[in-house]
Amino acid sequence: MSSQKLKKWTPYLLTAPSLLVVVLFVIYPILNSVFRSFQNKETGGFTLEHYQYFLTDPLQQSNILYTLKIVLWTVLITLVFSYLLALYLRFSGSRLSKWMGMLTLLPRFIPGLVAVYAVILVIRDSGVINRLGMLVGQEWQLGWMFNEKGIILMNIWFNIPFSTLIIFASLSGIQQSIIESAKDVGASKWQIFRSMILPLSYKDALVAVTFTFMGNVGSFTTPFLMGGNSPKMLGIALYDQFNSYMDYERAAALSVLMFLICSLSAVVYIYSNLKEKEWEKRA
Amino acid sequence: MIESKNNAANQRALEKRTPVWTAMGEVVTSFFKGLNVRRFYHGVGKKKFFEFLLFAVFLLFFYGPLMNTFMLAFANIYQFPDVVPREFGFQWWDFVLSQNTLVESIATSFLLAAGTTVVSLIVCLPAAYALARFDFKGKKLFMFSFLLSNAFPKIGLYTAMGIIFYRFNLMGTIPGVVIVHLINSLLFMIWLPAGAFRNVHSQQEEAARDAGASPFQTFVKITLPLAAPGIAVASMYTFLGSLEEAQGTLLVGFPEINTMATSMYGVILDYPATAGAVFALILIIPSLVVVLLFRKYLVPSSIGKSLTGK
Repeated sequence: MSSQKLKKWTPYLLTAPSLLVVVLFVIYPILNSVFRSFQNKETGGFTLEHYQYFLTDPLQQSNILYTLKIVLWTVLITLVFSYLLALYLRFSGSRLSKWMGMLTLLPRFIPGLVAVYAVILVIRDSGVINRLGMLVGQEWQLGWMFNEKGIILMNIWFNIPFSTLIIFASLSGIQQSIIESAKDVGASKWQIFRSMILPLSYKDALVAVTFTFMGNVGSFTTPFLMGGNSPKMLGIALYDQFNSYMDYERAAALSVLMFLICSLSAVVYIYSNLKEKEWEKRA
Repeated sequence: MIESKNNAANQRALEKRTPVWTAMGEVVTSFFKGLNVRRFYHGVGKKKFFEFLLFAVFLLFFYGPLMNTFMLAFANIYQFPDVVPREFGFQWWDFVLSQNTLVESIATSFLLAAGTTVVSLIVCLPAAYALARFDFKGKKLFMFSFLLSNAFPKIGLYTAMGIIFYRFNLMGTIPGVVIVHLINSLLFMIWLPAGAFRNVHSQQEEAARDAGASPFQTFVKITLPLAAPGIAVASMYTFLGSLEEAQGTLLVGFPEINTMATSMYGVILDYPATAGAVFALILIIPSLVVVLLFRKYLVPSSIGKSLTGK
């Protein structure tokens, strides 16, 4: 009896420490932020003024649009290139593609700041590209620093390897035999892609898109070092509210707005994650 | 007028190149003379040619900037129109290593990373074991709450935590920064070891129990060693993640806590490229060492799977 009781409680005891950490340092802060974002600073009463500020102030509006523009371009470019790269890695079979597979892994282990710095040293006006231009007597000032072009370039540097890996893992799950059999009955390459590869991999491509979207809405380091003064990405605007203006109500409201923008895609991510946890059923 | 003056200056700079540079230039031109593009195209065939082209573009985009930075780390003199530094040496290493705050930040970083990894192991391994071995009510909700912490913008979460941290007096303290790094590690530290524990057959544990081992003995002597590779990979992610974590540390720890990553912001904004490159290389060394040590676990398709939490 007592050992059965113990067995019933064991999983709860084992998960307690990590659950406590999440409740105390993730869920409680988030709820607190949501609550505070509706709070008037002086009276403590209910108000929508902080949201109103971010949604109607022209400067803040342009920040939101600027962020969405950068994120959507990043998602689009990343999806196209990483899908093509994943297809190549999966179906080429040459030694060169194996090398590229390994080399796709490495950027994940490069500290983000180092990567941003390395790219800045190449694209800035006194960077490598302009120096190479000088060699052939040309002025190759890209003008990509301190605007959205540099940020998008950096974002795709970070996200292509990452999305490629997710899509590649999905494509690796497609057995060679079913592709061979489709070829045997005379299917063209395009038909195989349309009717087999795309349906079997679009879900993971969607997960990759979700990750890219969420990861870049709140990006900080890249726009901090490469972005201009105005408009700013939301991550920087939030940092300013928190650190420079110390306006915690507005900071809370902005972070809730960012949560909402992300939650659109977070729903997709969490849903596909919980649904496809097959190993959980196998246990 | 100013332009022509500039051009003249550039011209002079071009002419003043040292032998190292001229030698490099000769190597490059002779390389391209030997590598006649058209002959190469016909030699290897259309398919191979485009494959090489793709590989070259891939390397240039992802590794070109990094290689350039490594080269600059060993430059003594790197002036404007030069692509390759005029003089190589360790001058800027001396400079960086003589900056006390930078050296201290390196020590802080490693202490924080080690501390975070230990705390994360203690907090997460029991939960990973529970997920792998038990079916319990609320399991879905439990996993959902962890996905939640990963599904929302990090910077929003950090500010939310920061507001709480002010109340708990955790701003600018080591424990506060460890908590931020810990939160980032939870998902990997639970998901990967859970998979590893699942792969240990429960018959092996039962055999140990039959031979008279206590549940704890069984766990330490049988389960843990068998799951060690998975746990090691997860710990590696946590350690490296903590070393490179910059924005959360900046928000919660600055200015009291200086890590390598937060110092890097200042280095990028204020120091010359050559000093920045040295510090970037120092920041990257731990990652390279760990990747070399763990290279047999780094398989593209399985990493891709672990990314989606499957």
